[in-house]
Amino acid sequence: MEAVIEVNDLVKEYIIVQKENGLRGALKGLLFPKKKTVRGVDGISFSIAQGEIVGYIGPNGAGKSTTIKMLTGILHPTSGTIKVCGISPQADRKSVVRKLGVVFGQRTQLYWDLRLGESFELLRRIYQIDNSVFEENMAVLTDVLKLEEFIHTPVRQLSLGQRMRGDIAAAMLHSPSILFLDEPTIGLDADAKHAIRHFIKEINRKRGVTVILTTHDLDDVEQLCSRLVVVNHGKVVEDGPMVSLVHKLAPHRLLVVELQQPFHDLEHPSAEIIKQDGLKIWYQFEKSRISAAQLISELSQKLPIQDLSVKEPDIEDAIREVYKTT
Amino acid sequence: MVNTIRHYFSVAACFARLAVQRQLEYPLFLFSWLLMIPIQYFSGIWMLKIIVDRFQPLNGWDFPELAFLYGLGLLSHGILVVLFINTWHIDNMVIQGAFDRLLLRPMNVFFQLIASYVNFIGLIDLIPGLIIFIYGCQLVGFEWTLGNIIKLLLVLLGGVLIRASLFISLGTIAFWTKRNASMVGFTLSMLERGTMYPLSIYPYVLQVIFTFIIPIGFISFYPAAEFLGKGSESFQLPLNFALATPAVGLVCFMLSQWIFRRGMKSYESAGS
Repeated sequence: MEAVIEVNDLVKEYIIVQKENGLRGALKGLLFPKKKTVRGVDGISFSIAQGEIVGYIGPNGAGKSTTIKMLTGILHPTSGTIKVCGISPQADRKSVVRKLGVVFGQRTQLYWDLRLGESFELLRRIYQIDNSVFEENMAVLTDVLKLEEFIHTPVRQLSLGQRMRGDIAAAMLHSPSILFLDEPTIGLDADAKHAIRHFIKEINRKRGVTVILTTHDLDDVEQLCSRLVVVNHGKVVEDGPMVSLVHKLAPHRLLVVELQQPFHDLEHPSAEIIKQDGLKIWYQFEKSRISAAQLISELSQKLPIQDLSVKEPDIEDAIREVYKTT
Repeated sequence: MVNTIRHYFSVAACFARLAVQRQLEYPLFLFSWLLMIPIQYFSGIWMLKIIVDRFQPLNGWDFPELAFLYGLGLLSHGILVVLFINTWHIDNMVIQGAFDRLLLRPMNVFFQLIASYVNFIGLIDLIPGLIIFIYGCQLVGFEWTLGNIIKLLLVLLGGVLIRASLFISLGTIAFWTKRNASMVGFTLSMLERGTMYPLSIYPYVLQVIFTFIIPIGFISFYPAAEFLGKGSESFQLPLNFALATPAVGLVCFMLSQWIFRRGMKSYESAGS
């Protein structure tokens, strides 16, 4: 697979003025500003192949938005190189942005006062979209995102979910090959989230659109992303397929056992009791040391078990591990 | 090249249509503007008349000449308000992320900034300007020869460019500081005072500044002085004014474009 995005040792520094408390501090800051250089993005490298759906995740302030803004040509990096489809967005912004669709979940590019369709007409002219292509894209987008209910409604009257669908449609009108989604499901209800995830899967499968997604919603990540790039403090801390990441970061599984009656000897050599609540006991064990089947059979030999369940670690556990350790 | 021009025209036309539609969404705003602007400017000319009637002509400028000067300044202000009003709001665009969006579209950023809002309501600004200017022309006996009309148009073009350059350069500061609304307010009142009265009433230092550093003297004072045959009392400018104002305007505009591009390089966006 050919790489559509290549990032090498990307750095973005900010100069911030440190302020002290109170009026004295404010005056001092005015006369003798204490400047400090902060690295928002600190040597990030990765490469993304055509057709991938990559989750770009990290805690608030980890440098996610800054990276996206550099990839899309909004910001200039302090150092390092970016190639999008072989072109540097800083050197040739117009050529690069033609291939990109960008949605910022917290901001809209639609005209607040006007009908949704008017914003689409403007974009048709800005991107010089052929009439036939425009009609075809509109037909597909209207169908999948169910735009027909509100395409003639002024944007200010749309619900958040409708507005987000409108914004995603606006970003896809010119058939971009790469789609950046910055928190596309923030604040949406379950239905709207489902519609948007369905759409992302569709355009990825049918058109081979590469998707880079930042989100704090781990359901998004779980349902959409084949690969995760996790950043923290401006650095890439993990990069790989989601399954192996979860496996690596959260190797523990849980066995929840419910007993018929109280029992004194609950210990098992390969499992650790992490919680006990009445007749319910939580055992944590490592996949590599003992299989679930073996642990269950050994425990059931001595314990009067009523009910049990095995809980697989999920992405949330893995992410929590990452944030904790770095 | 032809295609590029056609592309930009098509987008500008669409922007303009959408701008009209957006402004018609708020009829009350339009109405208040209709009321406010004429009151503001007519009270301006009334003040001038009172000053001249009660005391003495301002540094040798009598009321008809002052009306001509004021009207000329108002005309270029009115055109600026229609075409370049977005340069007053660059800081808001930066803070709300609208500027990011301009960078994400495959067109010239400055073009998008200006074209995306043609302020048709601002045409109301032009009406009192036109009335005062024509009134002034009548009083001073301005000759409407072809030569004079061409000169006048060139002066207006230059005046608009000088004003626009100021606001573009100031707006660019928002790329670094995020906020510059106070600067815009300050510049607006400086421009009003500097173009309403003859420059020659100000202290020598201010005259030098308004001629060579922030050349707002070329918006109305120097052209009016030349039209009215008054000569510039303080400085003997070698150029004919009709060429000077558009030339100064062009130089300022190119300079402001350079500043704008520099600013975009260190643009630091805002928020997440």
